[in-house]
Amino acid sequence: MSSAQPLLTTRPEVQTDNKVATEKLWKVVVWNDPVTPMPVVTLVFKKIFGYPQEKAEQLMMTVHHEGRAIVWSGGQDRAEHYVVQLHVHGLLATMERDD
Amino acid sequence: MARSRLFPRRRDGHVEVKLNGHAREFIAQQMQKVVDADHDAQHPWHSHVHSPMNPSADTDDPLRVLQRQKETASNAELALLTVKEEQLTLVEAWAWLTTMQIALRNHVVARGAFENDSLEGIDEAELSEIRDLQYLLFELAKALE
Repeated sequence: MSSAQPLLTTRPEVQTDNKVATEKLWKVVVWNDPVTPMPVVTLVFKKIFGYPQEKAEQLMMTVHHEGRAIVWSGGQDRAEHYVVQLHVHGLLATMERDD
Repeated sequence: MARSRLFPRRRDGHVEVKLNGHAREFIAQQMQKVVDADHDAQHPWHSHVHSPMNPSADTDDPLRVLQRQKETASNAELALLTVKEEQLTLVEAWAWLTTMQIALRNHVVARGAFENDSLEGIDEAELSEIRDLQYLLFELAKALE
């Protein structure tokens, strides 16, 4: 008969609920400004996000008329990457948690 | 007669630069301002070039800040290095566009006109620079479509 004692004297917590850890979503927001030419905004959206002309133009018009547009949403890391790229291209961009 | 383009796209993908000496000098000055703004903490544009990455967070990710700073600076330096070229590669043309756009934005941000969404209060000389940059950006964007 083995006299070995268990190394752990307390049982680890076992999670019993069925929650799945999900990454929170972030929104990338581009803001209107009074000077950037419209074709430049469209062009930058096409380059950074790979959007087709029609979608890029639609987002540009949303920025122009509504003052801002959500141009992308997804994981935090990619959202940060896109904000960096938008800044590098001279557009005003921020990111917000998608609650 | 149709007005000829300032930045016609060649069949080999390069972008021709059909600017006179005055226009090149103007663009070079704008590019130099962006380079200086990055290097010189006293430059009026410095704080705008280094504005917060993510205002919704308490602190910015320093690696992301560094990435933005490096990309902005290297674009501006590449643009300045190629300002006398007769033709640009696509990478160089994009460096021109991003640097001119950064300059355009900083002209306005530094005057606080972003908040007003209007250009009122900006003096005539600076307004003229803004209009010239807008025109050049509009023309260059056609070549990169």
